[in-house]
Amino acid sequence: MSDLQLPHINYAALAPMLILFGAACAGILIEAFVPRERRYPVQLGLSLAGVVAAGVAVITQAGTRTITAGGAIAVDGPTVFLQGAILALGLVALLFVGERSLEAGGPFVAQAALIAGSEPDRRQVVRPGATEVYPLMLFAIGGMELFVAANDLLTMFVALEVFSLPLYLMCALARRRRLLSQEAALKYFLLGSYSSGFFLFGIALIYGFAGRVDFAGIHAAALGSDRSNALLYGGLALLSIGLLFKAAAAPFHVWTPDVYQGAPTPVTGFMAACTKVAAFGALLRVLYVAFDRVSWDYRPVLGVVAILTMLVGAVFAVTQTDLKRLLAYSSIANAGYLLVGVLAMSKDGLSSSMFYLVAYGFTVLAAFGTLTLVRDADGEANHLSRWAGLGRRSPVFAAAFTFLLLAFAGIPLTSGFTSKFAVFAAALDDGQTWLVVAGVITSMVLAFPYLRVVVMMWLSEPAESTPTVSIPGVLTSTGLAIGVAATLVLGLVPAPLLDLSTKAAEFVR
Amino acid sequence: MSAGQVALVATLAVPAVGASVVAALPSRADRAARLVGTVAAAVTLVVSAALYRPGDGGWFSFGPNPPAIRPWHDLDVSWASGLDLRFHLGVDGISYPLVVLTALLTLLCCGYTLWHVPDPGRGRLLTALLLAIEVGILGTFLALDLVLFFVFFEVVLLPMYAVIAVWGGPDRRHAARKFVLYTLLGSVLLLVGVFTVVSAAGTGDIVALTAANPLSRGTQLAAFTLLALGLAVKAPLWPLHTWLPDAHTEAPTVGSVILAGVLLKMGTYGLIRVAVGVAPEGARWAAPVVGSLAVAAIIVGSLVCLAQRELKRLIAYSSVGHMGFVMLGIATLTATGLQAALIGNVAHGIITGLLFFLAGAVKDRAHTGLLDDLGGLRERAPGLAGVLGFAAIASLGLPGLAGFWGEAFAVVGSLRRGGPLWSTLAAIAALGGALTAAYFLRLLRRVSHGPASPVVAAMPAGLARPELASWGPLVLLALAVGLVPALVLGMAHDPVQALTEVVNR
Amino acid sequence: MSTVLAAAAGEMATGEKVVFWILGPIALIGALGMVLARNAVHSALWLVLTMLSLGVFYVMQAGPFIGMVQIIVYTGAIMMLFLFVLMLVGRDASDSLIETLRGQRVAAVALGLGFAGLVCTGVYRALRDTPPAGLEQANENGNVQGIASLLFTKYVFAFEVTSALLITAAVGAMLLAHVERRKEDKRDQAARMRERFAPGNYPGPKAGPGVYATSDSVATPAMLPDGTSADRSISRILPTRELTSSEKTPKGTER
Repeated sequence: MSDLQLPHINYAALAPMLILFGAACAGILIEAFVPRERRYPVQLGLSLAGVVAAGVAVITQAGTRTITAGGAIAVDGPTVFLQGAILALGLVALLFVGERSLEAGGPFVAQAALIAGSEPDRRQVVRPGATEVYPLMLFAIGGMELFVAANDLLTMFVALEVFSLPLYLMCALARRRRLLSQEAALKYFLLGSYSSGFFLFGIALIYGFAGRVDFAGIHAAALGSDRSNALLYGGLALLSIGLLFKAAAAPFHVWTPDVYQGAPTPVTGFMAACTKVAAFGALLRVLYVAFDRVSWDYRPVLGVVAILTMLVGAVFAVTQTDLKRLLAYSSIANAGYLLVGVLAMSKDGLSSSMFYLVAYGFTVLAAFGTLTLVRDADGEANHLSRWAGLGRRSPVFAAAFTFLLLAFAGIPLTSGFTSKFAVFAAALDDGQTWLVVAGVITSMVLAFPYLRVVVMMWLSEPAESTPTVSIPGVLTSTGLAIGVAATLVLGLVPAPLLDLSTKAAEFVR
Repeated sequence: MSAGQVALVATLAVPAVGASVVAALPSRADRAARLVGTVAAAVTLVVSAALYRPGDGGWFSFGPNPPAIRPWHDLDVSWASGLDLRFHLGVDGISYPLVVLTALLTLLCCGYTLWHVPDPGRGRLLTALLLAIEVGILGTFLALDLVLFFVFFEVVLLPMYAVIAVWGGPDRRHAARKFVLYTLLGSVLLLVGVFTVVSAAGTGDIVALTAANPLSRGTQLAAFTLLALGLAVKAPLWPLHTWLPDAHTEAPTVGSVILAGVLLKMGTYGLIRVAVGVAPEGARWAAPVVGSLAVAAIIVGSLVCLAQRELKRLIAYSSVGHMGFVMLGIATLTATGLQAALIGNVAHGIITGLLFFLAGAVKDRAHTGLLDDLGGLRERAPGLAGVLGFAAIASLGLPGLAGFWGEAFAVVGSLRRGGPLWSTLAAIAALGGALTAAYFLRLLRRVSHGPASPVVAAMPAGLARPELASWGPLVLLALAVGLVPALVLGMAHDPVQALTEVVNR
Repeated sequence: MSTVLAAAAGEMATGEKVVFWILGPIALIGALGMVLARNAVHSALWLVLTMLSLGVFYVMQAGPFIGMVQIIVYTGAIMMLFLFVLMLVGRDASDSLIETLRGQRVAAVALGLGFAGLVCTGVYRALRDTPPAGLEQANENGNVQGIASLLFTKYVFAFEVTSALLITAAVGAMLLAHVERRKEDKRDQAARMRERFAPGNYPGPKAGPGVYATSDSVATPAMLPDGTSADRSISRILPTRELTSSEKTPKGTER
């Protein structure tokens, strides 16, 4: 038996993930050893510190182009950019998750195991929420970091599970409307495991085709293999199903509205921003690195998926009366726009998609953040009719939310316009006119639900039952300020970030 | 940065800063906020007027192949290099009159708001929105980059929507929604057109595009169709005009003034600068269609006006007819026609702005705009009736007043173009001019003459000083442009010549 | 072992074929049974059947390690734990069988069969003429060693990261299932005694169910001296259990 050649591991390149997983494990230990009343500040501080430290570690990796840990991890421009994006968005999401001034004990339930509506459950309404969410957040962020860096399908699958499982759990932990939250978690879990199954099946077929699961190997095998191409296409199709499920693209989107609605709102924001970055990061790597040689074959299919996604998102958003569901459908439509950028299959497509992910992430985080502020006695008041006349009651808040909605609608001078412009321009340059036409038309359709909200807020008379806008605490205010400022700045001066994404837009193979 | 570039930036920055300051002031300082807004508008007018550079040409008008657009001042900085977006501003003889007109009308509107805020109050927000609209319109006129043009074009939409939807008349919701629907539709087409041009040519720079004409014939046809359709909604060209009467009727006085005075010009200006400049071959190809539609607009607008029973609605429909003349001028693609379009633009802005001010004054006093209920204004309020008569006569195109030149030269341009089609169009347009006279005289007969109706008898007689202050400049300008058309035509001569050379190259 | 390896490397041996055609249907039946069984315990047992068959397949395919792991860990440990939990918590088969979306089940079955057919024919056609390759290299130093070297070289990071998955799962189980008793809810011996002898409570042992010549069911209540039946002698959970109504109704003794 020959000796094992242990792989060289570039710890600096892996540092962001190691820091996050380490911080998460420390968080678990804190749960075990620190007294309950002191856990919240300690956990919050630790997670913020962990994310910031990981961010620093990512920044030090700028310019690195390497494949390490036995070929499992690729650290290159897109990895560093997307990891940085996930950390920045995750940090803002953590601010919303950590907010406790809006409602006694924060947005999470104290003991999820208690039966909803039972006597002990009613007693726990005022108890501080579970602090396990912080390590779970860190695990999820760490998993996403790994997801965008994975250089073979097996590692990617493990990363997929690592970041999905905490999300399933966090969905079930809403303080209010617990049955809805549990239903959301169960739906997400069942459909998520199903899509993981597809992903795994796809890996098996790809392995049958290429005999390897690393991207360079698949890329090489796609050039010429004695295996039937049916394995390649079948495997790619199943892999894509797994990835598109996470990205919430039609027809794999059906979980999105229910889960977004049921999950605690900060978690919804986290999913809408960070999961999207991770899913599209992985999709970009799979399509650009491993399967670029068969792009002519899958582009029409994914193009149809993109158009379907945009249509479904835009058309169904029009009929929604719940703001969380509206934003969920808008997030579906945005997945479609992102797919347009992905399908450009060029350096521009890559960089514009990455830019879009960041721009959209900040806007959607701030939007869900504002949803947490509008409350009545039963918690958040998300029904559209309840928002009538909110502009009269609290103009500053309504103005900020209007601005975010305009960004979603892609009105110029917001990040929504620059990012949409970037992906559409990239797709046009590559001759994907049909996608762009569909994109422009659906984005105009999509403008109406947003404008309806705006009209509702400003032009309707406030009713007796119009909920109040809570004064946000420091954490939420900071998060909102960051989100709104990013939306504005990326709309006015997108050049620095665009340059950065263009510079980063090169995969290592 | 030269003084001219500073002025260019300041033209946009002053109202933008003004708008944010006004919006940020607390609501108890409402009057002070409106005052600040008016000062900002005044400064904008001064700065924009300072953009004028007489003479023109400069050294680069000579040479074998001079560029078709020779801006007096030019500011070209990178905005987002990753997307190849440029912040390219410039002003020349085609855009300068419109820029000054915009600044002037906004100042007058802000001043008017200082005196009178329509229901439901909150005048500081109205002032802020007016300034925001001004930024958009000025930007549209100054932009020399296609994408930037589109961006500013879009900026106008939402503030205008808010102005109509908040301060408008009883049916404002419906009107505002219609306005947004139509304009968004136009924006989509415009955006697709911009995308087509930018992706085909690889640049969005209007100067370069007009000079080099890099597009193939097929692309030009597609691009012109898309751009022209998008801009025609805004202009508006018959049959895409149906949003206009509702919006004008329901909008508050200042909103109508801005809408009719300068907002519509974004469409026609865009057609000249962008659609014709970038896709001249497409323009030649589509000219007969545009011309026919323009003439149809003249006739339809006039006929509808003859049957109108509401003052503001009548003036609104008259805009359709007037813009028809402007479109006809553009469609001829001759130097005369384009000149006519330019001066028609300016004249329509001045006169219709004045007309809407007057209609607002009448409605504020009589609380009705129905022609049947008005009458005898001359006896009760001779001052008001006099100005109304002046404006109506200017609008129907009496020689010596501003309205004459645009209409007359559009017809002349069409005749000069020759051929059976254009001659017929010219003849029909002239007939439309006569119809214009007819409905304006009908208007005057109904409103000014005859015995005073009860509502008119009950209204206050005198004119307020702020009203005089806001109408006076427009009256003077209508006279000045009418008597000395060279004020506008002179500075536009060279750019129009250059443009026609490009078109007929 | 070496014969199996040699057989797997080349053509499929007859023995393997026989085993496949015997165990394949059994595995399939187990899977179907798991889905279709109304009773959770039965479901679990069906699943055990499928997993055992799969374990044998793995061994047959020259993967003894994974086969054994499948049998020992999955079937032996995890499924048995599962059964324990089911038994302890109590089996409750009150699944709602009402379709909220009409025709959903038929559509699901049809689509499922269609998908299975698509994948099966696709894979079959793709692999019909393909010889198996690479098994010798993979098992060169022995099967276990081969897996070990992969785990600690190529996939070392993924392997380590699975620990994050396990921690998350453990935390999740705690979060969703563990109820902390509040301090004031905890009762010490003295409190319990006080409660037991408090007025209104019956401190003695309760009567057991009746045993009679006609019935010895636990659902038969004991008879009090005055001839009435004692309801307290029946376990409280009996009526809530999923029993037929004849089983559930307290049985009197015929006189």
